[in-house]
Amino acid sequence: MQHQLIDTPDFGMLQITFDQPNETIVSESGAMVAMDTGVNMKTSMRGGLLAAAKRKMLGGESLFQNTFTSSGPGQRLFLAPGPEGDLRAMNLAAGQSFFLQSGAYVAHVGEQLNLDTKFGGVKGFFGGVGFFMLKVTGPGTVYYCAYGALHEIDVPPEGYTIDNEHLVGFTEGLQYNVRKFGGFRGLFFSGEGLVCDFTGQGKIYLQTRNAGALASFLHRFRPVKSKG
Amino acid sequence: MEFQVLYRPAHSLAICNLEPNETVRAEAGAMVSMTRNINVAAAAKNPNEGGVKSLFKGLKRMALGGESFFTNTYTAMGQPGHVSLAPSLTGDMVVHHLQGEQLIIQGSSYVAAPDSVSIDTQFQGFKGFFSGESLFFLTASGHGPVLMNAFGAIETIDINGEMIVDTGHIVAFTAGIQYSVVKASKGWISSFLSGEGLVLRMQGQGRMYVQSRNPNEYGTAVGALLPPRDN
Repeated sequence: MQHQLIDTPDFGMLQITFDQPNETIVSESGAMVAMDTGVNMKTSMRGGLLAAAKRKMLGGESLFQNTFTSSGPGQRLFLAPGPEGDLRAMNLAAGQSFFLQSGAYVAHVGEQLNLDTKFGGVKGFFGGVGFFMLKVTGPGTVYYCAYGALHEIDVPPEGYTIDNEHLVGFTEGLQYNVRKFGGFRGLFFSGEGLVCDFTGQGKIYLQTRNAGALASFLHRFRPVKSKG
Repeated sequence: MEFQVLYRPAHSLAICNLEPNETVRAEAGAMVSMTRNINVAAAAKNPNEGGVKSLFKGLKRMALGGESFFTNTYTAMGQPGHVSLAPSLTGDMVVHHLQGEQLIIQGSSYVAAPDSVSIDTQFQGFKGFFSGESLFFLTASGHGPVLMNAFGAIETIDINGEMIVDTGHIVAFTAGIQYSVVKASKGWISSFLSGEGLVLRMQGQGRMYVQSRNPNEYGTAVGALLPPRDN
């Protein structure tokens, strides 16, 4: 199976070309853009109902996942995330972990790749999406998306601070501490600012826009319910 | 101090590199990330203002400028540091280097500037009050870079003479340009029907920055499709 990340960074899409029959890739439901008719799509609750429900409720992922299986060489499959923005691949060695904001997960390859929903420690850790994040453990490859451009940061020895709403993911080996930010801002504006201080050795992945800000902008333009 | 704009044009991110003890003032909410030696202070003030006066200026900015009530100051303590900044909507960012001239900025386009640049609300912003497009201007003056954001792409237009610009598309212009708010067509009805309503007649010599999309048009187009809100 070969993969190519196309149309990045603004409208990233994953193009898979299968080398042989019976190769598989698993994706978030709704991610399929196009595929050759020889590719078989099977919808399932991965890991059974309970695991799927936990992912849905805690991680903000969809309940269902689709497994695509090739039936011959040269078959193509295109996958894309919902929001506009960049799309990246992270290759994980056996036992190596990567933490993702719920919602950033698009697809993965690798039968032994483990997706686990983890407690994030603090309410609103990921921009109000939930308490939880996705811990992805190799071996395998996970494809993840950003809303906007994806900005990568090597955490310097003295640590680094990020705005929670812009966090996409981070590598293992990092510790974090969430705190309020922006002084009086929280008193006057909904959606108090939370930032996260990272320490340790690793990389942080940020998105340059956040969907919440767009939603609050659009909220003002919603029609107002008529009284009575 | 310098601004470096990455990921242009659609999802731009500005990295503001600070020398030891240098300060940048940015619109509250624009911060994406920063180094650990950055000291953040809310309710920023210009060096030439103090206390209550600065609070009043903040309120004035919020009421008139469309800008957030609070700007934050970011100071690199002891050693170099950086702050990365992004606007809330899709679009490009541009840096205008002030060399003593004044730059008039549409309220929501202002992102950040160093202390060497002073930001004030222009009362001529009231002119735009009747346009229905909440047109308010801030005036930046002094020396140094000013970071602005646009909804969509940014076009730089140098004029010497006269030009008409839609109120929803103006980002900023240098003070050598005078503006007046005028009807788009001769009559009120055709001005309304043209979808342009009131426009800006720019006169003089200088530089204008315009954005390729109008936030209000976008909000109206998409917001109307959303379920009604309670109030």
